[in-house]
Amino acid sequence: MATSQYKAIVIGGSAGSYAVVSKIVAALPPDFPLPVIICMHRLKHVRAGFVEALNDKSQLNVIEPYDKQPVERGNVYVAPANYHLFVEYDATLSLSIEEPHLFCRPAIDHTLSSAAKTWRDKLIGIILTGANKDGAQGLKDIADRGGYTIVQDPATADVPTMPRAALRLLQPSATLPPQGIIDFLKSIR
Amino acid sequence: MDIKDFLKEFNRRCGFDFSDYSTNSISRRLSKICEEMGLSFEQILNMVVADKQLVQTIVEDITVNTTELFRDPSVWTAYAQLLPKHLPKQTMSTIWHIGCSKGLEVYSNLIIINELGLQDRCRVFGTDINPTVLENAQKGVYPYSFNKGYVDNFNTVMHSLNLNTPFEKYFSIDEQADTMTVSPTLRQQARFLPQDLVKDRAPFAYRVDVVFLRNVMIYFNEQLQNRVLSNVLEKMHDGALFIMGKQEDIPQAMKSRLLRQGPFYKKFK
Repeated sequence: MATSQYKAIVIGGSAGSYAVVSKIVAALPPDFPLPVIICMHRLKHVRAGFVEALNDKSQLNVIEPYDKQPVERGNVYVAPANYHLFVEYDATLSLSIEEPHLFCRPAIDHTLSSAAKTWRDKLIGIILTGANKDGAQGLKDIADRGGYTIVQDPATADVPTMPRAALRLLQPSATLPPQGIIDFLKSIR
Repeated sequence: MDIKDFLKEFNRRCGFDFSDYSTNSISRRLSKICEEMGLSFEQILNMVVADKQLVQTIVEDITVNTTELFRDPSVWTAYAQLLPKHLPKQTMSTIWHIGCSKGLEVYSNLIIINELGLQDRCRVFGTDINPTVLENAQKGVYPYSFNKGYVDNFNTVMHSLNLNTPFEKYFSIDEQADTMTVSPTLRQQARFLPQDLVKDRAPFAYRVDVVFLRNVMIYFNEQLQNRVLSNVLEKMHDGALFIMGKQEDIPQAMKSRLLRQGPFYKKFK
């Protein structure tokens, strides 16, 4: 079934990214062949209803993972509030409450860099709108290992700091508006 | 030299065994240490026998020392509602925070206990591998402006328990020094003791009624989780309460011995 050359998708975003992430998870079909891991900055205490709202919109199963939960297709994993989310070498997820990175916990760099080590060139990494440079280094790590990298076109971003920071560090495989990102993802078979 | 060899040799020379920590977590923290100190594994190993301070620094940097007042307020509210029913009426109860770091969950618990008027019926222990964080816990002084969220957490918990207790009842704030200090009453009620969870047993002889083991075992592999949990279970009364981090689960092998009850677990009788 999964004939894709890729094994997983990781997405990072902060300010303004909730709307884009909602559109993405709403657009993915129930038989989408890859697991999706999302790391979003959010206010520490905005917890209730966040993942539930995404899950209601999606035909996939949107969850906040438990420590050591295996990554499986059909699921969209969202970094839990106030935890860092890492991908381990055996494609399980792990959590950490270690110090914030660039004032962020969860930190997108941690999720993206650890995923890059696990899936190397079999990974798609996406950086969305956001007000922090966290995520740029992680996306570069994905690019350095031959993964496919997408940066949201800063002209379409609510807050362009995050995509711009990524574009300063690397030449992504593609720079796309939100609809272009969705079309790309839907083309994965 | 790879990480496995380094950890084996570090344990042989210093007596701290990190070999069953999750690979990703330990390798990330070790490479940070090497980078910051500008030292290789070999150089570190050559220095540790003579330099005890270096050993302490490395142990500190490997173990994660973050802790918050009333992290996950809803869990603390549920705990406060359950505790009076859970504790035996006639005897002293023992509560144990494992891997307590700088002690903020110990103090969260003591605040609940005092608010419920249970302070004469409970003894509360906090243990950690790291003597420096225990010293900090004992002193009870924390940065203020960086941690203003503690006040919000405190108010959230008090509000959901229909209490109007002010934060200042338990903390004195010094805006000039940018610190908040735990009240002497709470500090006297807390007992902080060193323990290396990987090799030591509990540093007290009581059986335990409530165990807090929150966001500690996320850094261990499953084998070490099972070993640690077996030891902890041995110290627990039947029916004792076991409390983990919000996104943690107990390993499969232990599921017959700890039964899930809402946000908590109970030791199976």
